[in-house]
Parts: sequence; C-alpha cells; structure tokens
Amino acid sequence: MLGVFDFCGHYEWTFSWLEERGGRALLLAYWDEAIHRDSQRHASELIEAKGIEGMKEYWGHTLAQEGAGYATTATEKVFRIDMHECPSKGFLLRNKLEQHHDYCDHCIGWIGPMLKHSGFTIDHQHNHCGQCWWEIRTNTDPSPPSAPGGLAKESDVRLRPDWNSGEPSIDTFSRANHPDKKDT
Amino acid sequence: MKSPTPLPYTDTKAVGAADFYFAINATFRFILKKFGEEGLRQYWGGLGSRYFAPVSAAWRARGLEGVAEYWKAFFAAEPDAQVEVQPGTDCVTLNVKVCPAIHHLRKGQREILPCFCQHCYFISEAMAQPANLTVRVEGGNGSCRQIFLRRDPNLPAQDLARIKEATC
Repeated sequence: MLGVFDFCGHYEWTFSWLEERGGRALLLAYWDEAIHRDSQRHASELIEAKGIEGMKEYWGHTLAQEGAGYATTATEKVFRIDMHECPSKGFLLRNKLEQHHDYCDHCIGWIGPMLKHSGFTIDHQHNHCGQCWWEIRTNTDPSPPSAPGGLAKESDVRLRPDWNSGEPSIDTFSRANHPDKKDT
Repeated sequence: MKSPTPLPYTDTKAVGAADFYFAINATFRFILKKFGEEGLRQYWGGLGSRYFAPVSAAWRARGLEGVAEYWKAFFAAEPDAQVEVQPGTDCVTLNVKVCPAIHHLRKGQREILPCFCQHCYFISEAMAQPANLTVRVEGGNGSCRQIFLRRDPNLPAQDLARIKEATC
C-alpha cells in the first residue's frame, strides 16, 4: 500500500517519473490538474468563498496536520506565511531524498493557479532548505512585499541567520501565479 | 545490527497526514488519464521496484520476518488503520479491517478511482519480487486480505477480479 507517512517521498519521486515521460509541461499539468483541481479542491473552494479568511482556515488546518513549524500573519489586505520548518522539504532532507531538481516549486505549482482563479497573486521566496515565505494579495493591489520584519515582525523567516546561506540559492517570485515565473 | 525502525524513511511525527490520501487518489487518476491502465501499472511497478528498493533489500535479508516487521510499522504510522499482521512460517497475512485510505477518502466525500485497490497488488508485487517473494490480494473497497509468501512457479497468478473496485 502507498501510505501517507512518507507521502512527500513518493510525491517527489512522482515528479521525476512524470517529467521523464512528459517533460516539465506534464509536471505543471499534474500540479494544476491533480493537486489544485482534484486533491486540494477543498482549499480552492474555501479560498474562493472566503478569501483571506479561507486562507487562515485552510493553512491553519493543513500545516498543523502536517506538523509544520510556521507562523501566519493576516490583515484585511494580505495573508503571509513564514515557514521555518517545512515538514515536506524537511522530510526529504532528513531522508536524503532528492529525485527532482526543485521540489519546492510544487507549492506555487498548485497554489499559484488556485489563487489566480480566486483573484490573488503571490510574492514568495524559498531557500531550498525548508524555509520560505509567502505574501498573498488581490491581483489589483499594487503593494510591494513587506520588508524583512515589517509585517511578520520577529516571525519573519528572512530574519533567520541561516535564511540565505548562499548555497543553494534563493528562488524569488514577484506577483506570480506560476512556477515558471521565477525572478532568479 | 537491526534498524530501529523497519520503515525506510522516517519522520518527526508519529502518524502521516490523512489528507495526503486525497493526493494519492488524485495522482492515480491523473496518471490513468494521461497514460492509461498500462501506464498506471508501470507507475505502481516503478514505485515498488525503485522508490521502495530499501524495503525489498530488507525483505531479501530478513525474509518473511522482515515483511511482518515492515507492515506492522507501516500501518502503525497510517492514520485510522486497523490492520492485523499475522506472521507465519510460510507466509505473512495482512488482515486489513479498516483501510485508512478508503476510510479517509469516503470521509472526505472524494470520488475514489475504481481501480484504487489494485495499487496494493502492483506495488507490493514489485517490492516482493527482488526478495523472491510474491503477494496475493483478495477483497478491497475498505477491507481486504493480503498474503505475502515465497515465490513458487506453481502458484496461480493474482486474479485481478478478486480485487474489488473501490466506491465512494
């Protein structure tokens, strides 16, 4: 049986299996069709109906269930996540599993299209070491992302001494809804 | 030296997050849509022979005792699983009273892929083969029996009709 205890391991293995057969286009289709529109449709329904309140409900439940070390900050205009210990990437790092070249892209791979559908856009960075941050605003809000510590205060993951160790490099997404809209 | 856990990959939490069963079901559906039945079986076979290669190696080294240890640890880490693992001299039997995946998919009112339960046969068979073992599955759709035993050319092949279609 395929279980959920090591889900992130076979999920990541699946990325490579798909990419070997259908290239990046198939992997992007997988994240959108299978994860966004099928597996995580409850997230989509919640956020479409309730906006930022729905984000609080969804990520409050799912990150707690996965055992993440994280903080969220919400105002009427922005929802922010600071991920200090990603349960998913952490599992892969601890178990030395790296079949796919950029596992972290999967999040924006399904969350990006989901939020686009609900009228939101994303500022996001991940450091490939289990830390990342997200700021989600409506796509009509031109506000830039907050400065480090400006919104999440001491919970801001960018204030960690190990946030930017230089290797591997940080990936940056600005007002993005797609994994290939990467600045760096 | 005996490993502290027979599971090949470990985590900081004791039990997996049940909502990931939604993703497993959705992944099977996606692959079936893109590659058909044969493609889905190849995916399952690849998981068994490559992703689970460390389990096969442990089974090869420890035989049926290793099989029983693995499944006991496996189901202890799956949310809401009710499974009895019966070790024997010639086989190991898993009496799956409550399949955690079907249980959670139903609870979440998800459309379950009809051939969902076949993944247990195809993945386990690919895991068992390098250890000179084989598996037979009977039942499904929430509860089933899985028997792991030594490979024998006289043993009848798995009859897929004995694995029930999954329903919501």
